[in-house]
Amino acid sequence: MPLVAVSKPTFAQKLKRFFMADLLKGLGLTLRFNLGALTSKDSVAGKGIYTEQYPSVRPDVAPRFHGAPRLNMDPETHDTLCIACNLCALACPEDCIDVIPMDVEVVVAGKPRRKKVLDEFIFDTSRCMFCALCQEACPTYCLELTQDFELATYSRAGFVWNREMLEQGRETVKYES
Amino acid sequence: MIEAALLAPLNFVDSLLLKFFSEQTVNYVIWPFIQVSAVVTITAGWVAYATYLERKISAFMQARLGPMRVGPWGLLQPIADGLKLLVKEDFIPESADRWVFFLAPYIAVVAAFIVMAVVPFGPDWAVITDVNIGILFVLAVSSVGVLALILAGWASNSKYALLGALRSSAQMVSYEVSMGLAIIGALMFARTLSLSGIVAAQQTDSIFFLLYQPVGFVIFLISGIAENNRAPFDLPEAESELVAGFHTEYSGFRWSLFFMAEYAAMVVVTAVATTLYLGGWYFPFVYRLTEAKGFHNAYVVVSLIVFLAKAGLLLYLYFWLRWTLPRFRYDQLMDLGWKWLLPAALVNIVVSAIAIVTLQGLDGWHGMHTIQSITNGVDLTATGKGIAIAIGIGNLFLTAGILSLINWRSRDFNLKKQRSKIRFAVLAKGKPAVAPVVSE
Repeated sequence: MPLVAVSKPTFAQKLKRFFMADLLKGLGLTLRFNLGALTSKDSVAGKGIYTEQYPSVRPDVAPRFHGAPRLNMDPETHDTLCIACNLCALACPEDCIDVIPMDVEVVVAGKPRRKKVLDEFIFDTSRCMFCALCQEACPTYCLELTQDFELATYSRAGFVWNREMLEQGRETVKYES
Repeated sequence: MIEAALLAPLNFVDSLLLKFFSEQTVNYVIWPFIQVSAVVTITAGWVAYATYLERKISAFMQARLGPMRVGPWGLLQPIADGLKLLVKEDFIPESADRWVFFLAPYIAVVAAFIVMAVVPFGPDWAVITDVNIGILFVLAVSSVGVLALILAGWASNSKYALLGALRSSAQMVSYEVSMGLAIIGALMFARTLSLSGIVAAQQTDSIFFLLYQPVGFVIFLISGIAENNRAPFDLPEAESELVAGFHTEYSGFRWSLFFMAEYAAMVVVTAVATTLYLGGWYFPFVYRLTEAKGFHNAYVVVSLIVFLAKAGLLLYLYFWLRWTLPRFRYDQLMDLGWKWLLPAALVNIVVSAIAIVTLQGLDGWHGMHTIQSITNGVDLTATGKGIAIAIGIGNLFLTAGILSLINWRSRDFNLKKQRSKIRFAVLAKGKPAVAPVVSE
């Protein structure tokens, strides 16, 4: 009594087997891929090459991707947009943002007033989980998570970004070709 | 004009050599030595670039790019790999048989490279030596390669290496048989064992023996792939089971010698298959366009290119099959060797003999004219060629039919039969799970 019911092959199946149709089909598939790779080098449509040449060609990340943080500046005056409101630090579930404000004397309508402005901004990317809740909380669209993804450094201290790094962005090696 | 200009430096070297050595020394020692070193260098370079080609082709077949970082399109990758292998540590296991462990890679490489001596790459000066038992020499020397694998597996003193060596020796011995038998059909038409003679026979017939011997060609190719331990017959180095088979314990340059031996053996099998079945360096119209008009060296060079192109096509077939087919199971491998290829080779011999006898019998029967001469191969007329090709193609179906007859009960490698033998119903009835005693 057979354990598995094996149906008897039909005549067409026998013919296919005799002429090794499946073998030829497989060989045809690999040959099609090979020729496709030689003719259409970068096409991804079925039979081209999928490989991305990463360091020389930057990959396209998804539009929703959250990467390295950045503090945006006013494009004309180059003053920071940050008003030191501390909302981002309060929103952060990982508690990885430190906003350090300082008081300055300003004159508003002829009267001396004190105002809080941003002194230093500490962002610990090693603890960040890139949820972008800080970006949501920011009232002036200052703090933003960009699409840059190269965050690796040689030390733990390198993960802690200060205000300068957040405003200028970190320097990465750009490879040619 | 161009030919004379190209020959001038060679003639100059020749005259220079004649000043220091006698004519015999120059003709029989120094020039052959130069030929040999040229062939060894070119083969070694070709082996290096065959690895590059293999990586590229496998990448293309899997929608990847392959090596791209070293040099343009990764063309310098083989050189980088070679340098890496040269400076790697040459590790020897503590309990290994040191001398045998040292020797095995050299045997492998020498056995693979020495065959190149008799392969006719082209006419005239493109042959190193034309041995009159060339094909026997090829078979004899290339099977010495098995010895290297066994020695390497034994000397490593490792279970994986030993298992790999066992498997490869069993595999190579069983496929050697059908390979040797498959050749005989082509030799009947060539009437010589010399490889140059086989090419000459195809030239006088102006035909490729592939058309007379399609079955022989298929058997030769399959057993050639199995001989080289290449996928889908790469059981001796099955990564998923045996780590790396017989060269598990090798590293550095000794490992690369095994690697070179594998690729050189591939080149040898493709070269012999080209010579036997694809006409070697012969191609229609080449003789008429070059040699007949007085360009002798152009003839040799074009023939050389033709030979390399044909061998390259077969080499591509190797890569193509490797990246298409999965690995055989061990019993399937042995079944294919002994139940399918061996009977097919025997059928091929009988049918080839019948073909030649038929051709000889038909010659002069009712005014039919089939054979012109049998001095240099079996020189057939157009009618004779037609009959021979018809018998060859009919042989494909005849062989397939005979193989189906032989194997009709073991078509699925007996899996079906094994399944039907397991009887759970008997156990379920409460009978003891022991084999019933058969009483007379």
